[in-house]
Amino acid sequence: MPSEIQLPRLGWSMEEGRFLGWLVRPGERVAAGQPLFTVEGDKATQDVEASASGRLVPAPDAPAEGETVAVGRVLGWLLADGEAAPTPANPGTPIAPAEPARADATAPVPPSLASPAAPISPVHAFPASPRARRAARARGVDLASLSPSGTAGRIRERDVLAATPAPRAHPQSRARTDWREEPLSPARRTIAARLSHGHPRPVPVTLNLRCDASRLVALRMAFKVRAATDPAEPAPTLNDILVHLVGIALGQHPVLTASWAGDHLRFPRVIHVGFAVDTPDGLRVPVLRDVCNTPLKELAAQARAMAGAARSGRLAPADTEGACFTVTNLGALGIESFTPVVNPPESAILGVGAVVREAVPLEDGGFAALDRMTLSLTFDHRVLDGAPAARFLQSLRSLIEHPPVQPPPSPSHP
Amino acid sequence: MDKRSPLALYRSMLLIRAVEERLALSHQQGLVHGACHTYVGQESVAAGVCAQLADADAVFSTHRGHGHALAKGMQPLRLVAELYGREAGCSGGRGGSMHLFEPAIGMMGTSGIVGPCILQAVGAAYAFRLARLPHVGVAFFGDGAVNNGAFHEGLNMAAIWKLPVLFVCENNQFATEVPFASVAGNPSVAARGAAYRIPSFEIDGNDALAVEQAAREAVEAARLGNGPTLLECRTYRTRPHAEGMGDFTYRTREEVERWKALCPIARLRQHLLDLGMATGPDLDAMAAMAAAEAEAAHVAAVASPFPLASSALAHVLAPASATPPEPQPPTRPARTLSFMKATHEALAEAMARDPRIFVLGEGIGQRGGNFATTSGLHAIHGPERLRDTPICERGFVGLACGAAMAGARPVVDFMFADFLLDAVGEILNQVAKMHYMSSGRLRMPVLLRGCIGIGHSAATHHSGSYYSMYAHFPGLRVAVPSSPADAMGLLRTALAGDDPVLFLEHRELLNIKGPVPEGSHALPFGKAAVVREGSHVTVVALALMVHRALHACSVLAEEGISVELIDPRTVAPLDLQTILASVAKTGRLLVVDEDFAHCGIGAEIAAGVANAGFDDLDAPIRRLNGAASPTPYSPTLESALVPDADAIARAIRDLCAE
Repeated sequence: MPSEIQLPRLGWSMEEGRFLGWLVRPGERVAAGQPLFTVEGDKATQDVEASASGRLVPAPDAPAEGETVAVGRVLGWLLADGEAAPTPANPGTPIAPAEPARADATAPVPPSLASPAAPISPVHAFPASPRARRAARARGVDLASLSPSGTAGRIRERDVLAATPAPRAHPQSRARTDWREEPLSPARRTIAARLSHGHPRPVPVTLNLRCDASRLVALRMAFKVRAATDPAEPAPTLNDILVHLVGIALGQHPVLTASWAGDHLRFPRVIHVGFAVDTPDGLRVPVLRDVCNTPLKELAAQARAMAGAARSGRLAPADTEGACFTVTNLGALGIESFTPVVNPPESAILGVGAVVREAVPLEDGGFAALDRMTLSLTFDHRVLDGAPAARFLQSLRSLIEHPPVQPPPSPSHP
Repeated sequence: MDKRSPLALYRSMLLIRAVEERLALSHQQGLVHGACHTYVGQESVAAGVCAQLADADAVFSTHRGHGHALAKGMQPLRLVAELYGREAGCSGGRGGSMHLFEPAIGMMGTSGIVGPCILQAVGAAYAFRLARLPHVGVAFFGDGAVNNGAFHEGLNMAAIWKLPVLFVCENNQFATEVPFASVAGNPSVAARGAAYRIPSFEIDGNDALAVEQAAREAVEAARLGNGPTLLECRTYRTRPHAEGMGDFTYRTREEVERWKALCPIARLRQHLLDLGMATGPDLDAMAAMAAAEAEAAHVAAVASPFPLASSALAHVLAPASATPPEPQPPTRPARTLSFMKATHEALAEAMARDPRIFVLGEGIGQRGGNFATTSGLHAIHGPERLRDTPICERGFVGLACGAAMAGARPVVDFMFADFLLDAVGEILNQVAKMHYMSSGRLRMPVLLRGCIGIGHSAATHHSGSYYSMYAHFPGLRVAVPSSPADAMGLLRTALAGDDPVLFLEHRELLNIKGPVPEGSHALPFGKAAVVREGSHVTVVALALMVHRALHACSVLAEEGISVELIDPRTVAPLDLQTILASVAKTGRLLVVDEDFAHCGIGAEIAAGVANAGFDDLDAPIRRLNGAASPTPYSPTLESALVPDADAIARAIRDLCAE
């Protein structure tokens, strides 16, 4: 009798998996126990062994390599000599469900009762109307970050608009619609679902890292000296230089720019970075455009103009749109480290602490006085894990400690 | 050769026999895809009757109609190819054996349902009378049909108006496989005709010469204006009801053999030989020629291609060129007219212009209509064009169908839509399908107008809406106007078009007044009106509900809710585009419909919007309908059924709050 090959359930919560390919050529004979195909589940990638001996005949509608399919899907058969593949192929004999008693899966589970072993809840806590979904897609708003305001408990278009009140008239803000979408891997989906259980919103985690800011401070000083002699060359602020370096680091770690879109990740094609400005009316976050490709001098000019506009209340709404990452700096106020709050739909924000001169032990047993500062990165754990976030911070530290910025020429003395 | 001569009859009968025998064989060979009811044994009736007819005379036939078609002059290829489902078939493959159409030679169709052909022949006769043409309508039907209401309604109307029609009952003694004697209170069909004071004759249907003589006298009488005749031709089909069916469960082999011995062809042959009108070899040669002609038709039919699948939807409705262009803005200022006056003006104007238009209905003659729809027109156009009918909705709708097939433009004024349910078979099976079944050759400008709607304690037989039901069927247009101007514009279009139209007027709106443009403004079907513009929610309403919704809109405007109100005006075709455009703006849709919700037009609109406007929706589509109940009489009960302005406002508020 033909032996069915089905996509196995590798873990109790696995509903689908990604078929990564056969390990045996179609038509070839395999022995029971021989690795037959590879599947990526929500936790791991695994080679699946043949459950019987026979000749491999993939199903006519077998998934392509890389395709995500439901658990239980018939992938093919192992046939004894003289046997023919049965038809039709799918659906196969049911594989037992993950939880036998799931008849009332739609019934709400009180959050207090939710344990790590409980079934994964939907990513969205609230349903959204089709129109709201479209608006959220267009504006890059994460529906999971919204609450419904109507009587039906459904997120409506107006709820999405309220989350992004500014009209988009500024031509530069067109960059926001320019996204690349990336499907979630089963693993990412599972992680996100687990993390957001009872938290259908960003799952913030903050990492702190101290770095040596001596060269940064020296660089800044060199710019200031030059500015003193040449008013046409105003000095970039420490923050300007940091944003410039952040742009480089983001280019190396684009996952920090991704945003959560429910069933996929969304990557901007151009990296715009917001920077927090304290104004008499409260916090404003103007956005610097295309930081990876904008020279430091221009970036500084942009930032100067925008900070000025922000402080005088003249910031255009479009100037605050389109960022995929934010830098906030409380160093001027003496704060050494803090927990910045992610600005949805962004997934990460960098907090910059004060530059503090402190004694640092040297390898030879002595101490040196160094200018140090603390970087605090808050990121959405649904989008990325701790290690990649840490690697981003390491890259940034390395950029800060060895800034790839040409210092201005020393002023010439007559 | 005179086609009434015995030799011509003989040749006609031989051809029918040869083609039927070829088709019986083809049926066994699988070339005939559907039913095949042969005419073997009855050839004398078709030959004897059709010998009296010119191309302009209209024949309406039955499921057993191959013989009628051939005797009326259809080319054997056109018949055989139709049964083979080929392009060369007389209905282009749309009809098969039971829908054989060749209007150019007066073959107005065989029919899978037999009673209606009686009414259609009466209708064609009416059209000929109206046009002062000397033609006759002929209905062939079996003994089974004489127990059907259509027979009685048709005979009665033909009798009272002395119409030029010939009723030919081919009494072959079995209604399908039920012996006529067992289902007839009076087994004499001719006696039934006499009951309507129609000259009626019982003749030996297997005697071609007797049939020829009786038919000749009947047709001459009809052409002379002496009214209808009923011929009961006693005959017998010697093959089964349909090819491939068993034959001896309801009759005996001996009985069939006895009738085979009475073969009308053999009988006429003997007559020709006896009188020396032909020699045996002559007659044998004629038979051989007929067989050769049948075989040639078969060969050509097999060679004809099947129709293209892509043409399957052609001819559901008349070509679009028949619909009027977009309305031009009126040049002169509007007048104020009542709904009733507006439609009256459109009808009066059309009747003055087009003599093919006539009105049928109860009390629409001198009385001028229950709702003054034809007031004063009888005095202008006389009783033939303003025809008071007996109370037989099925009968006069069937008459209207036949009249349209013969070139007239009937208007059926049925008073209340509830009454029209008696005629639903004629409307849906005949009127709506005729253009298609004739592969686009017959135009069906049948205008069916009357009242719908709840109000005035009219109770349940004078208050239904029904537009959703009719809108379900292809081949019909359904207009449900809400204002005098729309009513006038849509009625003009209906009167000028070539498709059947149900024009449904809400009784509670007949006396409302409104501005009506001067000039002959016509409104296209399938173009909705944006009655009121708004931004928060789209409301779609028809007829009376438009007015109630408007009232609700005013109340809600004060609350800051901006409603866009759309009146589709016609539900078939339905202008979904205007609704979608509005929903794209508002994101919310409420359909207010006096008709029942279940399977109603509201469901159709909701499905269309969910399908094509899904991403525009910010809330579920809601419906507010009349309650699912027969209409009660008492005012408190009656008003509980229909959405009022408060209920509409409430529904809009709730939808906007979601």
